[in-house]
Amino acid sequence: MPRPFHLEGAGQRALTPSESVRRGSGRELEMLESLLALGGLVLLRDSVEWEGRSLLKALIKKSAVCGEQVHILGCEVSEEEFREGFDSSINSRLVYHDLFRDPLNWSKTAEALPGGPLGALRAMCRRTNPGPVTIALDSLSWLLLHLPCTTLCQTLHALSHQDSRPGDSSPVEQVHVLGLLHEELHGPGPVGALSSLAQTEVTLSGTMGQASAHILYRRPQQRPTHQTQWFSILPDFSLDLQGGPRLESQPHPDPHTPPVDPTTHLTFNLHLSKKEKEAKDSLTLPFQFSSEKQQALLCPGPGQATSHIFYEPDAYDDLDQEDPDDDLDV
Amino acid sequence: MAAAAAAAAAATATCSPGAGGLGSAVAAAGKHSVTSFQRRGPRASGSDGGGSRLVSIAGTRPSVRNGQLLVSTGLPALDQLLGGGLAVGTLLLIEEDKYNIYSPLLFKYFLAEGIINGHTLLVASSKEDPADILQELPAPLLNDNCKKEFGEDVCNHKTSESNIKMKIAWRYQLLPKMEAGPVSSSRLGHYYDASKRIPQELIEASKWHGFFLPEKMSSTLNVESCSLTHGYMKLLHFIQNIIYEEGFDGSNPQKKQKNILRIGIQNLGSPLWGDDICCTENCNNSQSLTKFLYVLRGLLRTSLSVCIITVPTHLIQNKAIIARLTNLSDTVVGLESFIGSERDTNPLYKDYHGLIHIRQIPRLNNLIGDVSDVKDLAFKLKRKLFTIERLHLPPDLSDTVSRSSKQGLAESAELRGPGCGVMAGGKTHLDF
Repeated sequence: MPRPFHLEGAGQRALTPSESVRRGSGRELEMLESLLALGGLVLLRDSVEWEGRSLLKALIKKSAVCGEQVHILGCEVSEEEFREGFDSSINSRLVYHDLFRDPLNWSKTAEALPGGPLGALRAMCRRTNPGPVTIALDSLSWLLLHLPCTTLCQTLHALSHQDSRPGDSSPVEQVHVLGLLHEELHGPGPVGALSSLAQTEVTLSGTMGQASAHILYRRPQQRPTHQTQWFSILPDFSLDLQGGPRLESQPHPDPHTPPVDPTTHLTFNLHLSKKEKEAKDSLTLPFQFSSEKQQALLCPGPGQATSHIFYEPDAYDDLDQEDPDDDLDV
Repeated sequence: MAAAAAAAAAATATCSPGAGGLGSAVAAAGKHSVTSFQRRGPRASGSDGGGSRLVSIAGTRPSVRNGQLLVSTGLPALDQLLGGGLAVGTLLLIEEDKYNIYSPLLFKYFLAEGIINGHTLLVASSKEDPADILQELPAPLLNDNCKKEFGEDVCNHKTSESNIKMKIAWRYQLLPKMEAGPVSSSRLGHYYDASKRIPQELIEASKWHGFFLPEKMSSTLNVESCSLTHGYMKLLHFIQNIIYEEGFDGSNPQKKQKNILRIGIQNLGSPLWGDDICCTENCNNSQSLTKFLYVLRGLLRTSLSVCIITVPTHLIQNKAIIARLTNLSDTVVGLESFIGSERDTNPLYKDYHGLIHIRQIPRLNNLIGDVSDVKDLAFKLKRKLFTIERLHLPPDLSDTVSRSSKQGLAESAELRGPGCGVMAGGKTHLDF
């Protein structure tokens, strides 16, 4: 079964920018692809210090470049702000469902989504055109505040498993659901419930200005695997993988002193030579048991139900059978 | 046989409340106390049923302790820990491990055992289609293969230790070796190969009913009529219909062959069933699951059925609900896997994949339950088998061996692991 492995960059020297770009372009695809490989729900947990919307946009850009249909449910930021940074070819592939401008449908125009957020999600469940699709939810926190948690969980499950429903002979097409969750807004209950539904879970954190992603892959019926990746996102929403934070004040052990061997300068001998070992093995033990007696005790014979006393009389033993207390007048 | 007497009593006593009725009927009907001595041939003195030949149900046997009809859980090691097996009419609750890797295995062993014995299955799930669950059941191990599996383990143990003859502690040669593998006296269950799938013809030959919640729920969000969640109500109606139509509660006396209904419900209490006990601490329907279990147990007691339920208790926010679930179930087994916890890298636990806790065993017609004396049990998923063993901590040869308990040893080993010398010194032992 797969062992968890860590790709932490601690211990490396700081990379020059050009080196990191060259090294990054090969592995950059790996990280985004591995995030999207499992399908199902990808949960991005961010916080105030380490925001996740740029990673979400990087994933959207990757999916769009791969030719998938991308549907976005935007709740927290306006459409213009969300589309900023994408070039026009990608922007034309994005289908944006806007819940930010008019969430309660007060203007009663035709472009408002019927049924509110739940109706929008359910409409996405019933897609008719085939092909792989990516659905980005920005954000799940907003949806959790407006919908009951159980309804949201059930709808997410239906969203991410909709390819198995129709009985036609089309090959299994992957549905990717990318959800952004601000984990500081919620208690452990909803976060735990959503992370148990997710196939891939990315927790964003970092140190000293360098962002890191702790990724947990939950393959079905296999042990979950961890991975930690240091990265930064470039203005065109491509990913730049880093080696790790710059190490300025980290103490490392001095590699010049060899490990001290405590057995070198002793006044007594800890090791046995071969002759000494043989002498030790052939030493008779001080309680003078012969091996026959030992065998006899180990395998009790028929006449040995009671215990035996082996008495060897000493020179000073008195073998007089008379009771010495007989002459007492008691 | 007392098994058939119990079955006949279940059929006739329709209004007997709970297990007490079943037990007293057994005590009344069977004139002989139940022993493991079995008479060959048909029973000469027909205690009830006239001259009809009483046939026992396949895959069951009466318990030697209290006469209850027992079925196997699919794992003979677990059967032995639960006192021989699961009693018919009871509920087995499994507390899932954190990443839900090992509890589906126990679930599948239970269902596979039902297929091998010819029982009827009822599988309910909100996450996966029951047909897919049935496709993933493990294949049964035939007798000679099974002996080969155990034989190679035992041989490894024996060859390494037979050469050492002890010179000083020679009296210990007489002591028997610790049995680490499963020891089952009478083979009620079967062994399964977890790496292979069950043959398709066995699934097709079996009778099963599936309940997949997204299919059964209507698409509109409707109000709950009573305090039970909508999904639970539907499931209870479904189970009740199956029990009634197929005659597991004795309502169709023309049925010639009595059979057991094995019910399996997966991930009960998770948000996918519509229950929010995993989401918030003060939930609106905090009693929904407990009422469901109460009604389910009533259905089980009045029919020839056994039920297994897996619940993600690590997600439940209100701990009082977990205590209520434990009290409302008959047998409770908890799985705790080492993945992701600090015990994963602890060298003391390196042979095992997790701990298994037998939290509760029912007291059916007894004053005391059949609790085994072994409290520290660990499980290990080998490539083919799922084994449950007594947890052996290796002897600790450090200087703390006489001063601290086992728990302290485990803690101190963990503290010394990451190499923080300051932390380790402060907690464990006194240094004179």
